[in-house]
Formats: sequence, structure tokens, C-alpha cells
Amino acid sequence: MGLAVAGLMAIGILFVYSACFLSDEQPVGGVYKRQLLWALVGACCYVLFVVADYRALGEISWWLYVVSLVLLVLVMHTGEQVRGVRRWLSFFGLHVQPAELAKLATILYLARRLGRPGLNLRHPKHMLVIVALVAVPLVLVALQPDLGTAAVFLPIAIAMMFVAGVPARSLGIFLLVGVLFLPVGWLMMDDYQKSRVEVFVNPGKDPLGAGWNKTQSEIAVGSGGFFGKGYLGGTQNILGFLPRTVAPTDFIFSVIAEEEGFVGSVLLLLLYAVVLVGCMRTALLGRDKTGRLLCVGVSVMLFCHVFINIAMTIGLMPITGLPLPLISYGGSFLLTTLTALGLVQSVYVRRYRY
Amino acid sequence: MPVFSPFEREQVRVRLVLGGMLLAFLCLGVFLWRVQVLYGARYEVSLREQSMRRVRIPGRRGRIFDRSGECLADNRPSYCIALYLEELRQPGNWDETVHEVQRVVAQLSGVLGIAPELTEEAIRAHIKRRRPLPLIAWRDVSHATLARLAEQRPSVPGVDIYTEAIRVYPHGSLACHVLGYTGRTDPPAEGEPYYYYLPEMAGKRGIERRFDTALRGRPGGVLIRVDVSGYKHHERYLRKAESGEDVFLALDTHAQRLAERALAGVSGAVVVLDPRNGDVLALASGPAFDPNHFSPAISRADWQTLLADADRPLFNRAISGRYPPGSTFKPIVAIAAWENRRVSPGVTYTCAPGGFKLGDTIFHCWEDRGHGPLQLSSALERSCNVFFYRLALDCTYPYIYHMARALGLGSKTGIALDGESAGILPDNAWTLRKRGHRWRQGDTCNAAVGQGYITVTPLQMAVVVAAIANGGDLYKPRLVLGSRRAGAARPSPGAARPVRNMNWSAETLRLIRAGMHGVVHGVHGTARAAAVPGLEMAGKTGTAEYGPKEENKKRGWMTAYAPFDRPRYAVCIVVDDVESASLTVAPRLRALMMGLFGINTEDRT
Repeated sequence: MGLAVAGLMAIGILFVYSACFLSDEQPVGGVYKRQLLWALVGACCYVLFVVADYRALGEISWWLYVVSLVLLVLVMHTGEQVRGVRRWLSFFGLHVQPAELAKLATILYLARRLGRPGLNLRHPKHMLVIVALVAVPLVLVALQPDLGTAAVFLPIAIAMMFVAGVPARSLGIFLLVGVLFLPVGWLMMDDYQKSRVEVFVNPGKDPLGAGWNKTQSEIAVGSGGFFGKGYLGGTQNILGFLPRTVAPTDFIFSVIAEEEGFVGSVLLLLLYAVVLVGCMRTALLGRDKTGRLLCVGVSVMLFCHVFINIAMTIGLMPITGLPLPLISYGGSFLLTTLTALGLVQSVYVRRYRY
Repeated sequence: MPVFSPFEREQVRVRLVLGGMLLAFLCLGVFLWRVQVLYGARYEVSLREQSMRRVRIPGRRGRIFDRSGECLADNRPSYCIALYLEELRQPGNWDETVHEVQRVVAQLSGVLGIAPELTEEAIRAHIKRRRPLPLIAWRDVSHATLARLAEQRPSVPGVDIYTEAIRVYPHGSLACHVLGYTGRTDPPAEGEPYYYYLPEMAGKRGIERRFDTALRGRPGGVLIRVDVSGYKHHERYLRKAESGEDVFLALDTHAQRLAERALAGVSGAVVVLDPRNGDVLALASGPAFDPNHFSPAISRADWQTLLADADRPLFNRAISGRYPPGSTFKPIVAIAAWENRRVSPGVTYTCAPGGFKLGDTIFHCWEDRGHGPLQLSSALERSCNVFFYRLALDCTYPYIYHMARALGLGSKTGIALDGESAGILPDNAWTLRKRGHRWRQGDTCNAAVGQGYITVTPLQMAVVVAAIANGGDLYKPRLVLGSRRAGAARPSPGAARPVRNMNWSAETLRLIRAGMHGVVHGVHGTARAAAVPGLEMAGKTGTAEYGPKEENKKRGWMTAYAPFDRPRYAVCIVVDDVESASLTVAPRLRALMMGLFGINTEDRT
């Protein structure tokens, strides 16, 4: 699994370069160097968390959770406005996304809570509590607004609860209730989010505005064909039809698909599958329930990102802002992913009971 | 049922979750297959559609030659200095790019020593509508400027030399009414949709217009790949343009020059035909204009000058002018009377002093003293009006009408030029319709001397005299000998076939020709001044009044053919505002004939 992770990171750097190399603006052109830097930092984090005992983290997980909530509230008031959304806090020149921290903290805390021995999870009160615990960061993130990231919380929570032992029936009821609340969610969505969904449902609706990225991404992926156009040969990207602002981040997969074709896309999926299998394997081998649940949470988180991002680039889902783990340009998320994987590795390393 | 321990249950659930995730990945893989492999071609097409632009490139315009291969209309290169926006573009909004373009233009202007011509509106319009195409900053620059640019080129990016074709007429205003001129044109609505069009010439008048389609050739195309901002990324040749066909005219440059010289200083028209086949050897109208002024585009000042000129230099009098033929119509009356045996061959009429009385009106002869008794030959020689009044009355107008109609009067000849007039050949129906009265005998008298309602073009009269010259074959005037694709051989014109044969009797011809011979060579011939020593010709003069009566303006005609035996040239000259045809027109015809036959004498007109 380690190889797959390293491989993915290398791919990420290569294609971030490809996505950006023709850009005129100075900071963007050198973006791949920054990605390299973050990769190194992330690798250090990874090692750090492997060495650290995840159980120790589990003990302070409640506090981590609270801190992340505080940061989420903070960012809503004092966070930097980038393109109309408040998602980042800057600490001494570093941009941090509290949502990322919240994801990890929530996973950790849920793992700890659900992993406590002697819990009778049949009781519905546990599920409700968990739901409440997840709802808070979810809503806070959604208010940023960052619906994509907020949405990821749900599958993670559900999967963790499922594995932990909450009866399937309860979960089913919960899901049903959740579906009923969808219209409420629609009303609460911002205009740009609504237009994204509209464009998804009706592709011809706004070809030059909200639909542009979607259409261009599909053209990029589709025109890649079976073998792709070759590294650095993606015409959609070269000609700028795939906007340079999103190509290295949310639509990096489009660049990869156009340049490496079906073959490359499937290989990428396989690499991710390897990572997922690795995580879940650790979920089977982990020494204690908390550790195992931790792996499940991380795994589902990564899966959601991969699935939603790729589905978005080929038009299967509305456009969201979810980056592709280990590949999309973005320091915060790279750190998060590597930290999460470090935790998983930490569980794995301690799997034997002595 | 086996009971699973919580741990085992958990393991199962883990596996379930994993299975679910892998299944989802499989679905993704299937969709990827669909998009990339199954429908990949469709996306490739979309990509091409949004990033490719076709540019239509006009072909090289065909040239126009005279009968001996002398080039009358040609193309010359116009060297332009072009800016390429894709190299000059600036990040940010368009203003930045506009300023950059202006900066480069100013820099070039200083280096090359020419004033900038591009306006800001022009730059903006180009950016808006023709972004991937070169932006022309200066057109048709001198060689010196080109040389200076070549020296500077490496240091100024985004600038290059761009060549356009400009129509040029090497002989200036020679045959300008036949050739016409070209101007810039809107792109035609064609089959293949093009995104951009490069400017093209289209014929606006004359042969340039009539044969425009053949002269233009077929356009070629270039495929330009543009990026998302519409700037050119690179280009690829689609198809080479096809050069236009060259057109060969029947004109003879030497004859044309002589014809135009015959009109020096006056308004009028000259037509020279070859009576053996109807070839138009010269077609001139004065005053003339220089079609070079129209290439590449005429300035507003020049255009206004041309339009405001009271003498109408753009008007082709040779085919569009509708004038009463005057006495040049008399031979037609005579032929009509003789061919239809309306009078006996040796008929005599007396031209008495004081004119001819018809009812209440007196019709005068130009000779107040009268000519006395005359037969046809002498009547033609002296151009006696009274003779022809009486001849026409005895002949009766319908025969005259049909003869004139058979000779092509009252209808277009069909020459390959736009704007030809048919003239007016009146009859009873016409006068009823247009003047509200029946045909009167007075009208016959007027018609007999080519006045009254009848109007003709100089070309029509040339065709008539050509028929008399060749013995009765009426030819359609042939202006174009043929056209050929670039690189092909010269076209060989087929033998011309007459439109009709008048079937005149030899006797009639002999009589008419003798009379017309006397016009030039006879003692009393009205066109004595046209005689050229050593050359026998035949002709007829005519003087017709026009304009308001108080101005007393007259138009002078002369139709003629030469040599008398085996004629090679049939000529018609019309000059506005003359003393009389004899005084003004005949000498000009003399000069024309001398030039045509290469006869040099001491005195020149």
C-alpha cells in the first residue's frame, strides 16, 4: 500500500505540472513545485503519525473535536474570503482549512466513542447522539459554504456506525428521514450551488456559465480515447478550454484522463483501490475497535472524495469542490490525507496484541 | 442459525463496506469506458468544433487580355504590415491588449517613418470580430518601408509582412468602360460555412462584373486552431485557392487607343466592329475615368468628384446612350423602300427651296435653297432631307419599321456588358401608348431623317453599318473571345455565326454602297473631310438636335466602313455638342481610319 500511496503522489505532481505549465501567471506556473513541497511536509506528517500512538490521539480526540468546532466557527467570522467563500484561516502565512481538521477530528472522536467497550449499540440513543455529533460540524462546514465537504461527513458517519454495530434497520430509518429533509437543504443552498445542480440535471442549460466547466471536463475526458493524447498533450488544457484555475485542483482528473486515456484512468482507479483495500485490511486486523473504526472512517472519506470527484468530471454528479486525494493541488488536503493514512498505518503497526 | 460474535459481525460489515466501495469503483470504470472509449469520438468532435475556425481565402483574380494577349487588367501585390494579436496579447482585459497594439504601432511608426493609420476603434473592432486574423496596420507600403521593416523585424515581436492582391490596369483609363473596375465586397453566402473571410475583390462594372464569377476562381481555406480566448494558436492549410479564369476580349488595344484619341476633349462614343464576324475591336466612351483609382478602394473625394461631374464619366455612352440617329438612319429607309419594291429603282424626288409641305406643316431640308431633283445616290451623298421625307411616305412606315427592327434597332444587341439600352423604335402602338395619338405622316417624315421618337445606341448603328459592309449579315457584337483556366492554352474562338441574314438583293446593296461611297468621296459628300488618300471608304453623317431648344445643341454622327472592297472595319462615332457632323466628326473619323490602316501623313488631327 505504501507504494501505491507514493505512486499516487508522484502522479499528482506530474499532472499538476501538466495542468499548469502553460499558464502565464507566475505563481500558478510554479505550482507543481509547491505541490512537491507539500508532499514532503506531508510525508513527514505521515511518519510522525505512524510513530505516534493512535490511541493517545484517541484520548484527546474529544478536545480535538471541540477545537475543530471552534475553528469552524472562527473561520466563518474572520476567515479569508476567497472567491466568495470563507474556508481558510491564515496562521503566520500558512493557509489552513478547518474543515479538513474537522473531518479528521470527527473521525477520531467517533472512532473513540463508538469503540468504547461494552456499548450496546442497539439502543437508538447512541445513533441519535452520533448523528448530533456529526451534524454540528456538518452544518458548520455547509454554512461556509462548502456543501461538498459537508456531504462527506454523512457517508463516513453511516459507514462507521454500520461497522460499529448499529443495527441496519435504524440506519435505514435514519436515511429515510434524511431524504425527507432534502428539499429543506435545497432551499438553503446558495445560488451558485443551485445552478450547479440545475446544470447537472439539464446539461444544455448554461453552456457558457455554470455549465462550462462541466462540458469542457467531459470533452477533455471523452476526447482522451483509449490511450490518451500523451503527457503534456491535452489540447483542452493547452488551449485553455479547461480553465487553468480549476485544472490543477478539482479537475485534475480531466487532465489525466485526456492525456492518458482510458488506460490511464483505470490505472488510477486501481491505485486508489489498492489504497482502499489496504485501509480496510487494517480495519480487519486492527487491535482494538477504535483503531478499526478509524481505518473504516479514513477509508470511506478517501473513497468519497475519489468517487465524487471522478463522477463529477464525467458528468455523473453535479460539480462540487472535492479534490482528488494525493493528486489535486492543495496543501491542506494533501496534509489531511497523509495524516489520515499515517493514522491508519499507525493502527496497522500496532495490530498485534502483546 | 450460527451465532456470530460481535467481532465476526464487525468483520463481515467491514467487508461489506469494502465491497460496496469497490463496486462503486467498478461502476466508475464502466462509465469511463462509456465516455472515453464508446463515445470518445463524439467528444473529439466537440473539441474540434469549439476550437477550430475556417478562414476563407479568395483565389487570385483572373486577368483580362485583349485579342493579341496584351494584358488590360492585372493583379499586383500590395505589401502590408500586419500585427499578430496572439503574440501581442496582454493578460487582463482587452484594454491592455489595445494599448499594447498602439504602443507597437507607435514604435513602428517612428522606426519606419510613416504615420500611424490604425484607429483605436479599428483595433477594438478587430479584436472583437476577427481576433485570430492578422491586423493590418499599413497597406501597400513602399519598398523602402519594407526594407526598413526587414531590418527591424527581429526586435519587434508580433509584426510581419502580409501580401494582398490589388487590381491594376496597366493601361490606365484605356477601355475603362469595357473593363469596369473592382471593389471590396461582402462575402457571398455560399455552401460551406466559413467563420472568417479575408477581403476579396468583386467586379462592380463592365467585364469585371459580368465575368466576376469566372474571374474570382474558387476560394481556398485555412484552418485555424484558436484557444479559449479566440486567439490564434496555429494554422493548417485546408485547401489551396483556385485562380480565376483569364478572360480574352476581342478588343484590339491599338484600335481602342485610336478610338479614345478620336474622342479627345469631347463627350461621345466610338465603336469599331469587324464586319466579318462582329468582333468588337474598340468600344470607347468619353469622358473616361481611371479604374486604378478604384483599387483597392476609391476615396470618398474621388467618388464624389466622379458622381458630380456633369459629363458623367462613368456612363458608357457607346451602349447606354439613347440618341436620335439623325441622317444615319437614311440608308435604312432606302433599303426598306428598295427591298420591298415600294418605289422604282431610278426614282427621282425634287428637293425644292422652302422645304416640303405636308398638310399644315413644312418640313425643311438643311439646304434652304433646295437640292433640286435627286436620285438615291446623290440624295445620300448630299444627305437631302426632302428626298427622304418623300421616300419614306411612299414606302410607308411599317416597312421601314420592320427593316429597322430586323437590323436590331429597338432591342439590345446582347453584348457582354451590363447597362445596355434597347433604344426606342416607335410604331403605331407605341405612339398610342406613350403619346396618345395614332401614327401620323409627320411622324414618318421625322423618322425618315432619324429624328422624332426614334433613339438608338452607337453600338446599334455600328452593327447596322457592319451589315451593310458585309452584304447583309447581322452579327451579334462579340466582345469576349473566351476564357481559360490558369495554365491552360489560349482559347480559340469559334467562327462567329450571324444572328440573321438580311437577304438583301445585290442591286440594293450596290445602290446603297455607291451612295455611301459618295458621302466621303463625292464632290458634294457631306463627309469629304473624312477622306484619306489611298483608302476608299463608305459612310454616312448625321446631325441630330438635342437638349432644350434655346440651347441649340447638336449631336454629330458618322457611320463608316473601310476599305470599300472587302471591309475590315465598321465604325460609328458620336460626338456631343458639335457644329455639324461634317465639320467636327468627319475629321476625327479620318484620323481614326489613318491610324487603323497605319497611314501616316504630315498633318494629324
